[in-house]
Amino acid sequence: MSNDRPLVLPGETIDLSLIPSHPKNPLRLGPGLRHIPPSDIVPTAAGELITNPVKNSMWVEYNSNRYIPSQNDIILAQILRSTSDFYLCSLAPHTPPATLPHLAFEGATKKTRPVLLPGQLVYARVSLANAHMDPELECVHASTGKADGLGPITGTGCIFDVSLGFARRLLMARPAQDGGLAVLEMLGGEEGGGMAFETAVGRNGRVWVGSASARTVVVVGRALQETDRGRLGVEGQRRLVKKLVREMS
Amino acid sequence: MPLDTSTYNLALLRVDGRRWNELRRVHAQIRTQAAADGSSYLEMGHTKVMCVVTGPSEPGPRRGTGGGGAGGAGAGGAAEVVVSIVIAGFSSVDRKRHGRGDKRTLELQSTVANALAASLHIHLFPHSQVNISLHVLSQDGSLLAALINAAALACVDAGIPMTDYVAACTAGSTSTYAANDEGADPLLDLNHQEEQELPGLTVATLGESDRVVVLVCESRVQVSRLEGMLAVGVDGCKQVREILDRVVREKGRRMVQEGTVEKGIGLNEMDVD
Amino acid sequence: MPRDAEPSLNEKQFVITALQENLRLDGRELDQYRPLELSFGDQYGAADVQLGKTRVLAKATAEVTVPYTDRPLDGIFTIATELSPMASPAFEVHRPTETEVLLSRLLEKTVRRSGALDTESLCLVAGQKCWSVRVDVHVLSHDGNLIDASCLAVVAALRHFRKPDTSMDAGVLSVYTPAEREPVPLSWLHSPFCVTWSFFGEEGEIAVLDATWLEEQVRVGSCTVSLNKHGEICQIAKLGGTPVDAVSLLQCTSVALTKVKEFSGLLDRKLAEDLKRRDKGGFMSELRAENDR
Repeated sequence: MSNDRPLVLPGETIDLSLIPSHPKNPLRLGPGLRHIPPSDIVPTAAGELITNPVKNSMWVEYNSNRYIPSQNDIILAQILRSTSDFYLCSLAPHTPPATLPHLAFEGATKKTRPVLLPGQLVYARVSLANAHMDPELECVHASTGKADGLGPITGTGCIFDVSLGFARRLLMARPAQDGGLAVLEMLGGEEGGGMAFETAVGRNGRVWVGSASARTVVVVGRALQETDRGRLGVEGQRRLVKKLVREMS
Repeated sequence: MPLDTSTYNLALLRVDGRRWNELRRVHAQIRTQAAADGSSYLEMGHTKVMCVVTGPSEPGPRRGTGGGGAGGAGAGGAAEVVVSIVIAGFSSVDRKRHGRGDKRTLELQSTVANALAASLHIHLFPHSQVNISLHVLSQDGSLLAALINAAALACVDAGIPMTDYVAACTAGSTSTYAANDEGADPLLDLNHQEEQELPGLTVATLGESDRVVVLVCESRVQVSRLEGMLAVGVDGCKQVREILDRVVREKGRRMVQEGTVEKGIGLNEMDVD
Repeated sequence: MPRDAEPSLNEKQFVITALQENLRLDGRELDQYRPLELSFGDQYGAADVQLGKTRVLAKATAEVTVPYTDRPLDGIFTIATELSPMASPAFEVHRPTETEVLLSRLLEKTVRRSGALDTESLCLVAGQKCWSVRVDVHVLSHDGNLIDASCLAVVAALRHFRKPDTSMDAGVLSVYTPAEREPVPLSWLHSPFCVTWSFFGEEGEIAVLDATWLEEQVRVGSCTVSLNKHGEICQIAKLGGTPVDAVSLLQCTSVALTKVKEFSGLLDRKLAEDLKRRDKGGFMSELRAENDR
């Protein structure tokens, strides 16, 4: 593991052999790396350097608590207030607000647009993020006009704060295999007695857990938070789930 | 000066000649200041308090946290209740300067603000502010109770919708905590002397219910005595509520008589006979 | 001034619906405290209280000063609270927020005005010299229920504290260093503890102990009761908020008494453990034997 994922520190020089080279695709840099023209690539964060030769991309994987918006991230935002054209939303406490245009919802027109109250949650995509402007959000896919599951969050449920790295692991296509996170599957599976719940994971370190039963929400939320805080492995997660189910039943 | 409580057992009379369940004379007036939206003047014995209410109005420029009172619900959807209390230097026997940043005053401000926010319908006035300014002219015990009563009256005068009166009074117990006297009687409405010597608490209730808005006890007392004191206090609050109500109705009746207000316009919920 | 982030509507609603089913987000019972940890520093008079993610450090110090002119026979005892930006970005240095004022008033009423510390014993030379005992309360992390945690930290710090021994000889006051004479504990009369109830629901009918920060933001009222284990109320503060039935307030007080007895037992046990730890080498006991003579 340590061989293919070297640890880098901010300002280090990256070994040239690590940088993927692809005949056609341009090199893509992800979070934690900075390109200093003409040809230097310097890490700006401490973490594991991950490279993907197929997509010709590389980034630094690190865990942190402060969310910095970047384009196409799916996030859970909280409406702060409404202005004439857009909603102001908070992505994380004590950060500049993001804007969510009134028309950036599925099928929204000037006359039919969703009315959101301050404090309500929306599941949204970051459509614009750069260092000099407030980030912009959207709840609709710009080209297809479909919501794709984005939009205001309703129903009984609660938000749980987790670390950013944990949220990213949850968002992986196969969290159990790639991220070592089987806790949600276990809760819904036989260890958790087949609980029925839904989740919405935001890359800003927020997870919404919804279920008709408040008890399920509490169990799932605690399982997520304790897995994150205790950095539990799959075995630890299994034990945690069993313990929680026993406690709460 | 130690208070001689020994005579109480002989005659069952307190230092100022009251019985255990007697309030002091409560005298109150509303609409004392013509310029204000609402105003009141209240005496409970020798404790004299004046209150002026402005609002609900647009919030002015933010002052420092030192002078302001407390927000009610705090949420953007409701008005903020801001209380400022000025304790006059001549109000107590030994002249003392009370700075604005005095922690006790700040605590009183926050208590009065939160107590009234519970009964005022501030959610009807988003993005606004209710300013309550209280002036203490003379102190003789039960200060917090007098402040709450005066503020409640002034809010009635200002016409701010509210669930019911918040009425407050104090209750005490006849012997000090050290005496560990099981037969201690509860007392109603403490004056300054009694407040210094005896355990006491301030109770404020909402309207005629038994529901307690404010309960402040600042002295040592056995848990077993709390129940009796609280019962007497709650009962006293009901008496105070009656008195406040009478004051408001009397004023309303006079205003109709004088023709200041036409009957039936502004006095819908007041049954004027 | 940065304001604290408000919880979202979903969170507010969920906290209340869960409470109506007797559920809390961290799986506790309604009248259950979070895991409480109390530890003492290497120096005398430093107490560190952790209540879940809330953490409060209290440090007691003493110095010789001149007593106040109007109280020549009393020593000076102050409690200083500071809520720094370390605890939450909403707190600023040297700008007391309402939370801070109410916290320091509560501690003052609970510990100082209830006479927990015998201030007369702090007097060295009447009208000229006395001890000034000061407790600094630092909130290191704020996740609700600062009051109970701070009060426990203050009482623990003061009970753990030892002030330098002194003697009066022919009008000469001498203060001994810890090497010369083992420092002496303060003259402590009773240990008050705060128990804070938070009320939820339209009528304030749900009462919850040890609210987290999220719960504190949602609650409609609170009531702090300070008691000692002998069942004496030192202070009650329900400063406004939604009205609560008088009878349920009385019930809250009696539950608070059992909690206070638990705190009291915990503190006694921790103090005894700490004493044993310090006593290990026998060196301290030797010094103490010298003192007793």
